Amino acid sequence: MALVELRSVVKRYGDHIVLKSVDLSLEKGEIIAIIGRSGSGKSTLLRCINGLESIQSGELLVDGVAVHDSKSDLRALRARVGFVFQSYNLFPHLDVERNITLGPTIVKSMPYQKAAELARVALRRVGLEEKIHAYPDELSGGQQQRVAIARSLAMSPSIMLFDEITSALDPELVGEVLRVLESMAKEGMTMLLVTHEMNFARRVATRVLFMNEGVIWEQGTAAAFFEAPKTEELRNFLGSVLN
Amino acid sequence: MIRDLSWVDPLYLVFALRWTILLTLLALAGGAPIGLLVASLGNTSHATSRLASRAYIGLVQGIPLLAWLFLFFFGFPIFGIDVPGWLAATCGFSVYSSAFLGEIWRGALQSIPRTQWEASASIGMSHVEQLRYVIIPQAIRIATPPTVGFIMQLIKNTSLAAVIGFVELTREGQMTAAATLAPLSVYLMVGALYFALCYPLTVYSRFLERRLHGAR
Repeated sequence: MALVELRSVVKRYGDHIVLKSVDLSLEKGEIIAIIGRSGSGKSTLLRCINGLESIQSGELLVDGVAVHDSKSDLRALRARVGFVFQSYNLFPHLDVERNITLGPTIVKSMPYQKAAELARVALRRVGLEEKIHAYPDELSGGQQQRVAIARSLAMSPSIMLFDEITSALDPELVGEVLRVLESMAKEGMTMLLVTHEMNFARRVATRVLFMNEGVIWEQGTAAAFFEAPKTEELRNFLGSVLN
Repeated sequence: MIRDLSWVDPLYLVFALRWTILLTLLALAGGAPIGLLVASLGNTSHATSRLASRAYIGLVQGIPLLAWLFLFFFGFPIFGIDVPGWLAATCGFSVYSSAFLGEIWRGALQSIPRTQWEASASIGMSHVEQLRYVIIPQAIRIATPPTVGFIMQLIKNTSLAAVIGFVELTREGQMTAAATLAPLSVYLMVGALYFALCYPLTVYSRFLERRLHGAR
Protein backbone atom coordinates (compact mmCIF):
# COMPACT_ATOMS: atom_id res chain seq x y z
CA MET A 1 0.00 0.00 0.00
CA ALA A 2 1.14 3.51 -0.74
CA LEU A 3 2.51 5.50 2.20
CA VAL A 4 0.52 8.57 1.17
CA GLU A 5 -2.60 8.35 -0.94
CA LEU A 6 -4.73 11.31 -2.06
CA ARG A 7 -7.94 10.71 -3.99
CA SER A 8 -9.81 13.70 -5.47
CA VAL A 9 -8.77 15.92 -2.60
CA VAL A 10 -10.51 19.31 -2.54
CA LYS A 11 -9.52 22.20 -0.27
CA ARG A 12 -11.55 25.41 -0.10
CA TYR A 13 -11.28 28.58 1.96
CA GLY A 14 -14.84 29.84 1.75
CA ASP A 15 -15.47 30.28 -1.98
CA HIS A 16 -11.81 30.20 -2.85
CA ILE A 17 -10.74 26.81 -4.14
CA VAL A 18 -7.09 26.08 -3.39
CA LEU A 19 -6.96 22.41 -4.31
CA LYS A 20 -9.40 21.47 -7.07
CA SER A 21 -8.97 17.75 -7.25
CA VAL A 22 -5.65 16.28 -6.34
CA ASP A 23 -4.70 12.63 -6.82
CA LEU A 24 -1.34 11.49 -5.61
CA SER A 25 0.21 8.28 -4.51
CA LEU A 26 3.57 8.12 -2.82
CA GLU A 27 5.56 5.00 -2.03
CA LYS A 28 8.03 4.43 0.76
CA GLY A 29 11.48 5.75 -0.15
CA GLU A 30 10.27 8.20 -2.77
CA ILE A 31 11.52 11.75 -2.80
CA ILE A 32 9.00 14.03 -4.40
CA ALA A 33 9.66 17.67 -5.16
CA ILE A 34 6.66 19.92 -5.70
CA ILE A 35 7.20 23.09 -7.67
CA GLY A 36 4.84 25.78 -8.90
CA ARG A 37 3.98 29.44 -8.66
CA SER A 38 2.97 30.93 -5.31
CA GLY A 39 -0.74 30.42 -4.79
CA SER A 40 -0.81 27.21 -6.82
CA GLY A 41 -1.70 25.21 -3.71
CA LYS A 42 1.58 23.41 -3.12
CA SER A 43 2.05 24.44 0.51
CA THR A 44 -1.62 23.80 1.22
CA LEU A 45 -1.24 20.30 -0.18
CA LEU A 46 1.59 19.63 2.25
CA ARG A 47 -0.33 21.08 5.20
CA CYS A 48 -3.34 18.91 4.40
CA ILE A 49 -1.21 15.77 4.51
CA ASN A 50 -0.46 16.13 8.23
CA GLY A 51 -3.87 17.56 9.03
CA LEU A 52 -2.79 21.16 9.71
CA GLU A 53 -5.50 22.04 7.19
CA SER A 54 -8.74 20.09 6.85
CA ILE A 55 -10.01 19.04 3.44
CA GLN A 56 -13.55 19.53 2.15
CA SER A 57 -13.89 16.40 0.08
CA GLY A 58 -11.93 13.44 -1.20
CA GLU A 59 -9.83 10.93 0.67
CA LEU A 60 -6.43 11.40 2.21
CA LEU A 61 -4.65 8.39 3.68
CA VAL A 62 -1.26 8.58 5.34
CA ASP A 63 0.33 5.40 6.61
CA GLY A 64 -3.13 3.83 6.65
CA VAL A 65 -4.69 6.67 8.69
CA ALA A 66 -7.64 8.50 7.12
CA VAL A 67 -6.58 12.11 7.69
CA HIS A 68 -9.89 13.40 6.25
CA ASP A 69 -11.84 11.53 8.94
CA SER A 70 -12.37 13.69 12.04
CA LYS A 71 -12.44 10.53 14.16
CA SER A 72 -8.88 9.60 13.20
CA ASP A 73 -6.11 10.06 15.72
CA LEU A 74 -4.19 12.92 14.12
CA ARG A 75 -1.86 13.16 17.11
CA ALA A 76 -0.49 9.67 16.60
CA LEU A 77 -0.22 10.34 12.88
CA ARG A 78 1.65 13.61 13.30
CA ALA A 79 4.15 11.88 15.54
CA ARG A 80 5.07 9.79 12.47
CA VAL A 81 4.90 12.57 9.88
CA GLY A 82 7.69 15.11 10.24
CA PHE A 83 6.98 18.67 9.15
CA VAL A 84 9.56 21.39 8.63
CA PHE A 85 8.34 24.95 8.17
CA GLN A 86 9.65 27.81 6.07
CA SER A 87 10.07 29.97 9.19
CA TYR A 88 11.68 27.17 11.31
CA ASN A 89 9.22 27.72 14.19
CA LEU A 90 11.55 26.55 16.92
CA PHE A 91 10.30 27.09 20.47
CA PRO A 92 12.15 30.29 21.46
CA HIS A 93 11.88 29.73 25.21
CA LEU A 94 13.62 26.34 25.11
CA ASP A 95 17.21 25.43 24.31
CA VAL A 96 18.08 23.23 21.34
CA GLU A 97 18.09 20.05 23.39
CA ARG A 98 14.65 20.73 24.87
CA ASN A 99 13.29 21.78 21.47
CA ILE A 100 14.20 18.33 20.20
CA THR A 101 13.35 16.24 23.27
CA LEU A 102 9.94 17.84 23.83
CA GLY A 103 8.20 15.64 21.26
CA PRO A 104 9.75 12.30 22.29
CA THR A 105 9.30 12.92 26.04
CA ILE A 106 5.80 14.41 25.94
CA VAL A 107 4.17 12.71 22.99
CA LYS A 108 5.98 9.36 23.13
CA SER A 109 6.53 9.35 26.92
CA MET A 110 10.19 8.51 26.43
CA PRO A 111 12.50 8.85 29.46
CA TYR A 112 14.46 12.10 29.30
CA GLN A 113 17.84 10.38 29.21
CA LYS A 114 16.90 8.38 26.15
CA ALA A 115 15.36 11.40 24.41
CA ALA A 116 18.49 13.45 25.09
CA GLU A 117 20.59 10.73 23.46
CA LEU A 118 18.20 10.81 20.50
CA ALA A 119 18.60 14.60 20.32
CA ARG A 120 22.37 14.19 20.24
CA VAL A 121 22.12 11.69 17.38
CA ALA A 122 19.70 13.91 15.44
CA LEU A 123 21.94 16.94 15.95
CA ARG A 124 24.95 14.98 14.74
CA ARG A 125 23.03 14.19 11.56
CA VAL A 126 22.47 17.88 10.89
CA GLY A 127 26.00 18.76 11.99
CA LEU A 128 25.11 20.88 15.03
CA GLU A 129 26.02 18.72 17.99
CA GLU A 130 28.01 21.55 19.61
CA LYS A 131 24.89 23.78 19.70
CA ILE A 132 22.89 21.45 21.94
CA HIS A 133 22.61 24.00 24.76
CA ALA A 134 22.17 27.10 22.61
CA TYR A 135 18.87 28.96 22.38
CA PRO A 136 17.21 29.52 18.99
CA ASP A 137 17.97 33.26 18.97
CA GLU A 138 21.68 32.48 19.24
CA LEU A 139 21.63 30.53 15.98
CA SER A 140 21.71 31.66 12.36
CA GLY A 141 18.71 30.98 10.14
CA GLY A 142 20.42 28.00 8.55
CA GLN A 143 21.31 26.55 11.94
CA GLN A 144 17.77 27.08 13.22
CA GLN A 145 16.40 25.29 10.21
CA ARG A 146 18.78 22.38 10.77
CA VAL A 147 17.64 22.18 14.41
CA ALA A 148 14.04 22.16 13.16
CA ILE A 149 14.96 19.21 10.92
CA ALA A 150 16.59 17.48 13.89
CA ARG A 151 13.44 18.11 15.94
CA SER A 152 11.42 16.26 13.31
CA LEU A 153 14.02 13.49 12.93
CA ALA A 154 13.97 12.76 16.67
CA MET A 155 10.36 11.62 16.31
CA SER A 156 11.59 8.90 13.90
CA PRO A 157 9.05 9.84 11.24
CA SER A 158 8.15 7.49 8.43
CA ILE A 159 7.84 10.45 6.07
CA MET A 160 9.01 14.05 6.19
CA LEU A 161 7.31 17.07 4.68
CA PHE A 162 9.34 20.18 3.90
CA ASP A 163 7.53 23.43 3.20
CA GLU A 164 9.88 25.77 1.29
CA ILE A 165 12.43 25.35 4.03
CA THR A 166 15.16 27.39 2.36
CA SER A 167 12.98 30.30 1.19
CA ALA A 168 13.51 32.40 4.31
CA LEU A 169 17.27 31.87 4.38
CA ASP A 170 20.05 34.13 3.21
CA PRO A 171 21.50 32.69 -0.01
CA GLU A 172 24.79 31.69 1.63
CA LEU A 173 22.92 29.60 4.21
CA VAL A 174 20.84 27.60 1.74
CA GLY A 175 23.63 25.14 0.96
CA GLU A 176 24.06 23.82 4.50
CA VAL A 177 20.35 23.01 4.75
CA LEU A 178 20.20 21.36 1.32
CA ARG A 179 23.22 19.21 2.22
CA VAL A 180 21.32 17.89 5.24
CA LEU A 181 18.34 17.06 3.02
CA GLU A 182 20.59 15.33 0.54
CA SER A 183 22.17 13.13 3.21
CA MET A 184 18.69 12.22 4.50
CA ALA A 185 17.69 11.32 0.95
CA LYS A 186 20.71 9.02 0.69
CA GLU A 187 19.66 7.29 3.91
CA GLY A 188 16.36 6.42 2.29
CA MET A 189 13.99 8.85 4.06
CA THR A 190 10.66 9.28 2.31
CA MET A 191 10.34 12.98 1.57
CA LEU A 192 7.88 15.41 0.09
CA LEU A 193 9.33 18.85 -0.53
CA VAL A 194 7.84 22.07 -1.73
CA THR A 195 10.81 23.94 -3.12
CA HIS A 196 12.11 26.68 -5.34
CA GLU A 197 15.54 25.08 -5.60
CA MET A 198 15.27 23.63 -9.12
CA ASN A 199 18.80 22.28 -9.22
CA PHE A 200 18.27 20.52 -5.94
CA ALA A 201 14.98 19.05 -7.15
CA ARG A 202 16.59 17.81 -10.32
CA ARG A 203 19.51 16.22 -8.48
CA VAL A 204 17.72 14.60 -5.55
CA ALA A 205 14.04 14.04 -6.35
CA THR A 206 12.84 10.72 -7.70
CA ARG A 207 9.74 12.45 -9.02
CA VAL A 208 8.84 16.09 -9.61
CA LEU A 209 5.30 17.52 -9.56
CA PHE A 210 4.22 20.80 -11.07
CA MET A 211 1.22 22.34 -9.31
CA ASN A 212 -0.88 24.81 -11.24
CA GLU A 213 -4.38 26.19 -10.54
CA GLY A 214 -4.99 23.76 -7.68
CA VAL A 215 -4.19 20.55 -9.53
CA ILE A 216 -1.10 18.47 -10.26
CA TRP A 217 -0.61 19.80 -13.76
CA GLU A 218 2.31 17.68 -14.79
CA GLN A 219 4.65 15.16 -13.20
CA GLY A 220 7.54 12.94 -14.13
CA THR A 221 11.00 11.75 -13.27
CA ALA A 222 13.38 14.60 -12.59
CA ALA A 223 15.25 14.15 -15.86
CA ALA A 224 12.20 13.95 -18.15
CA PHE A 225 10.43 16.70 -16.26
CA PHE A 226 13.14 19.31 -16.70
CA GLU A 227 14.49 18.19 -20.11
CA ALA A 228 11.20 17.66 -21.88
CA PRO A 229 8.27 19.45 -20.21
CA LYS A 230 5.04 18.40 -21.91
CA THR A 231 2.74 21.31 -21.15
CA GLU A 232 2.97 24.95 -22.15
CA GLU A 233 2.42 26.06 -18.52
CA LEU A 234 5.37 24.08 -17.19
CA ARG A 235 7.59 25.31 -20.04
CA ASN A 236 6.67 28.90 -19.16
CA PHE A 237 7.22 28.31 -15.47
CA LEU A 238 10.60 26.65 -15.95
CA GLY A 239 11.55 29.39 -18.37
CA SER A 240 10.79 32.07 -15.79
CA VAL A 241 12.56 30.41 -12.86
CA LEU A 242 15.58 28.96 -14.59
CA ASN A 243 16.70 32.20 -16.26
CA MET B 1 -10.63 65.13 70.75
CA ILE B 2 -7.57 66.71 69.33
CA ARG B 3 -4.16 65.38 70.18
CA ASP B 4 -0.64 65.97 68.96
CA LEU B 5 0.98 63.85 66.32
CA SER B 6 3.25 61.47 68.20
CA TRP B 7 5.69 58.69 67.53
CA VAL B 8 2.93 56.06 67.74
CA ASP B 9 1.08 57.47 64.73
CA PRO B 10 3.60 56.32 62.13
CA LEU B 11 3.45 52.92 63.79
CA TYR B 12 -0.33 52.82 63.45
CA LEU B 13 0.06 53.71 59.80
CA VAL B 14 2.59 50.94 59.30
CA PHE B 15 0.20 48.51 60.98
CA ALA B 16 -2.62 49.70 58.72
CA LEU B 17 -0.41 48.90 55.75
CA ARG B 18 -1.02 45.19 56.35
CA TRP B 19 -4.72 45.70 55.57
CA THR B 20 -3.75 47.35 52.30
CA ILE B 21 -1.54 44.37 51.52
CA LEU B 22 -4.19 41.90 52.65
CA LEU B 23 -6.87 43.55 50.53
CA THR B 24 -4.53 43.46 47.51
CA LEU B 25 -3.90 39.75 48.07
CA LEU B 26 -7.61 39.04 48.49
CA ALA B 27 -8.37 40.95 45.30
CA LEU B 28 -5.75 38.92 43.45
CA ALA B 29 -6.98 35.65 44.95
CA GLY B 30 -10.49 36.45 43.74
CA GLY B 31 -9.52 38.19 40.51
CA ALA B 32 -6.83 35.87 39.17
CA PRO B 33 -8.95 32.71 38.73
CA ILE B 34 -11.77 34.71 37.10
CA GLY B 35 -9.18 36.54 35.01
CA LEU B 36 -7.74 33.23 33.87
CA LEU B 37 -11.21 32.08 32.88
CA VAL B 38 -11.88 35.34 31.04
CA ALA B 39 -8.51 35.04 29.24
CA SER B 40 -9.11 31.45 28.17
CA LEU B 41 -12.67 32.18 27.01
CA GLY B 42 -11.25 35.07 25.01
CA ASN B 43 -8.88 32.71 23.25
CA THR B 44 -11.17 29.87 22.25
CA SER B 45 -12.29 29.25 18.70
CA HIS B 46 -15.86 29.48 20.02
CA ALA B 47 -17.28 32.85 18.91
CA THR B 48 -19.87 33.15 21.70
CA SER B 49 -17.23 32.53 24.38
CA ARG B 50 -15.00 35.19 22.88
CA LEU B 51 -17.91 37.62 22.79
CA ALA B 52 -18.80 36.89 26.42
CA SER B 53 -15.20 37.45 27.46
CA ARG B 54 -14.99 40.74 25.58
CA ALA B 55 -18.35 41.90 26.94
CA TYR B 56 -17.28 41.14 30.53
CA ILE B 57 -14.01 43.02 30.15
CA GLY B 58 -15.77 45.95 28.50
CA LEU B 59 -18.47 46.13 31.16
CA VAL B 60 -16.10 46.01 34.12
CA GLN B 61 -13.58 48.41 32.65
CA GLY B 62 -16.34 50.80 31.60
CA ILE B 63 -17.56 51.32 35.17
CA PRO B 64 -15.42 53.21 37.69
CA LEU B 65 -13.89 51.15 40.44
CA LEU B 66 -15.54 53.37 43.03
CA ALA B 67 -18.93 52.53 41.52
CA TRP B 68 -18.17 48.80 41.79
CA LEU B 69 -17.35 49.24 45.47
CA PHE B 70 -20.62 51.05 46.09
CA LEU B 71 -22.51 48.49 44.04
CA PHE B 72 -21.31 45.68 46.30
CA PHE B 73 -21.50 47.68 49.51
CA PHE B 74 -25.04 48.95 48.98
CA GLY B 75 -26.16 46.19 46.63
CA PHE B 76 -25.87 43.20 48.95
CA PRO B 77 -28.09 44.72 51.69
CA ILE B 78 -30.89 45.14 49.12
CA PHE B 79 -31.01 41.34 48.88
CA GLY B 80 -31.03 41.16 52.66
CA ILE B 81 -27.37 40.19 52.84
CA ASP B 82 -25.42 42.34 55.22
CA VAL B 83 -21.81 42.42 54.22
CA PRO B 84 -18.92 43.88 56.17
CA GLY B 85 -16.84 46.49 54.40
CA TRP B 86 -13.90 44.17 53.82
CA LEU B 87 -16.07 41.63 51.99
CA ALA B 88 -17.72 44.25 49.77
CA ALA B 89 -14.26 45.63 49.04
CA THR B 90 -12.89 42.18 48.24
CA CYS B 91 -15.75 41.56 45.82
CA GLY B 92 -15.35 44.94 44.15
CA PHE B 93 -11.60 44.67 43.77
CA SER B 94 -11.83 41.05 42.59
CA VAL B 95 -14.21 42.01 39.80
CA TYR B 96 -11.97 44.92 38.88
CA SER B 97 -8.79 42.80 38.85
CA SER B 98 -10.40 39.94 36.98
CA ALA B 99 -11.21 42.17 34.01
CA PHE B 100 -7.81 43.83 33.84
CA LEU B 101 -5.84 40.62 34.43
CA GLY B 102 -8.12 38.81 31.99
CA GLU B 103 -7.38 41.40 29.34
CA ILE B 104 -3.61 41.32 29.97
CA TRP B 105 -3.48 37.54 29.87
CA ARG B 106 -5.79 37.22 26.88
CA GLY B 107 -3.53 39.58 24.97
CA ALA B 108 -0.42 37.67 26.02
CA LEU B 109 -1.86 34.35 24.88
CA GLN B 110 -3.00 35.89 21.63
CA SER B 111 0.42 37.37 20.95
CA ILE B 112 1.99 33.92 20.64
CA PRO B 113 2.26 33.37 16.89
CA ARG B 114 -0.02 30.82 15.25
CA THR B 115 3.13 29.11 13.96
CA GLN B 116 4.00 28.04 17.51
CA TRP B 117 0.68 26.19 17.66
CA GLU B 118 1.38 24.61 14.29
CA ALA B 119 4.93 23.58 15.18
CA SER B 120 3.80 21.94 18.41
CA ALA B 121 0.84 20.29 16.67
CA SER B 122 3.13 18.92 13.98
CA ILE B 123 5.10 16.88 16.52
CA GLY B 124 1.86 15.37 17.76
CA MET B 125 1.14 17.38 20.91
CA SER B 126 -2.43 17.60 22.20
CA HIS B 127 -4.10 20.95 22.85
CA VAL B 128 -3.40 20.78 26.58
CA GLU B 129 0.25 19.81 25.98
CA GLN B 130 0.64 22.68 23.52
CA LEU B 131 -0.64 25.11 26.14
CA ARG B 132 1.38 23.59 28.95
CA TYR B 133 4.77 23.30 27.28
CA VAL B 134 4.79 25.81 24.44
CA ILE B 135 2.15 28.53 24.62
CA ILE B 136 1.75 29.37 28.32
CA PRO B 137 5.50 29.49 29.15
CA GLN B 138 5.95 32.07 26.41
CA ALA B 139 2.78 33.95 27.35
CA ILE B 140 3.88 34.18 31.00
CA ARG B 141 7.05 35.98 29.99
CA ILE B 142 5.07 38.47 27.98
CA ALA B 143 2.39 38.92 30.64
CA THR B 144 4.60 39.32 33.71
CA PRO B 145 5.67 42.98 33.35
CA PRO B 146 2.13 44.28 32.72
CA THR B 147 0.80 42.04 35.48
CA VAL B 148 3.29 43.46 37.97
CA GLY B 149 2.36 46.92 36.72
CA PHE B 150 -1.30 46.18 37.34
CA ILE B 151 -0.61 44.93 40.87
CA MET B 152 0.97 48.31 41.61
CA GLN B 153 -2.17 50.06 40.38
CA LEU B 154 -4.20 47.71 42.52
CA ILE B 155 -2.19 48.48 45.68
CA LYS B 156 -2.74 52.20 45.20
CA ASN B 157 -6.39 51.77 44.26
CA THR B 158 -7.17 49.82 47.44
CA SER B 159 -7.17 53.29 49.03
CA LEU B 160 -10.67 53.64 47.55
CA ALA B 161 -11.87 51.04 50.04
CA ALA B 162 -11.59 53.80 52.64
CA VAL B 163 -14.89 55.25 51.38
CA ILE B 164 -16.83 52.15 52.36
CA GLY B 165 -15.29 52.14 55.80
CA PHE B 166 -12.59 49.55 55.34
CA VAL B 167 -9.68 50.62 57.52
CA GLU B 168 -6.56 50.30 55.42
CA LEU B 169 -3.68 52.71 55.06
CA THR B 170 -5.60 55.65 53.62
CA ARG B 171 -8.53 55.32 56.06
CA GLU B 172 -6.09 55.09 58.97
CA GLY B 173 -4.43 58.22 57.61
CA GLN B 174 -7.77 60.04 57.42
CA MET B 175 -8.52 59.20 61.03
CA THR B 176 -5.09 60.20 62.23
CA ALA B 177 -5.28 63.45 60.31
CA ALA B 178 -8.67 64.21 61.82
CA ALA B 179 -7.44 63.51 65.33
CA THR B 180 -4.20 65.45 65.09
CA LEU B 181 -5.14 68.21 62.65
CA ALA B 182 -1.83 67.55 60.91
CA PRO B 183 -3.05 66.31 57.54
CA LEU B 184 0.05 67.25 55.59
CA SER B 185 2.46 65.31 57.79
CA VAL B 186 0.09 62.36 57.96
CA TYR B 187 -0.57 62.14 54.24
CA LEU B 188 3.13 62.55 53.52
CA MET B 189 3.69 59.46 55.63
CA VAL B 190 0.82 57.67 53.92
CA GLY B 191 2.30 58.52 50.54
CA ALA B 192 5.74 57.38 51.64
CA LEU B 193 4.34 54.03 52.75
CA TYR B 194 2.55 53.45 49.42
CA PHE B 195 5.77 54.38 47.69
CA ALA B 196 7.78 51.94 49.83
CA LEU B 197 5.40 49.20 48.77
CA CYS B 198 5.21 50.08 45.07
CA TYR B 199 8.72 51.18 44.24
CA PRO B 200 10.30 47.72 44.63
CA LEU B 201 7.63 46.47 42.22
CA THR B 202 8.54 49.18 39.71
CA VAL B 203 12.16 48.11 39.90
CA TYR B 204 11.19 44.47 39.58
CA SER B 205 8.95 45.23 36.60
CA ARG B 206 11.79 47.09 34.84
CA PHE B 207 14.11 44.20 35.53
CA LEU B 208 11.60 41.79 34.02
CA GLU B 209 11.15 43.97 30.99
CA ARG B 210 14.89 44.09 30.38
CA ARG B 211 15.13 40.35 30.71
CA LEU B 212 12.22 39.94 28.34
CA HIS B 213 13.92 42.03 25.70
CA GLY B 214 16.91 39.77 26.02
CA ALA B 215 14.49 37.26 24.41
CA ARG B 216 14.74 34.58 27.10
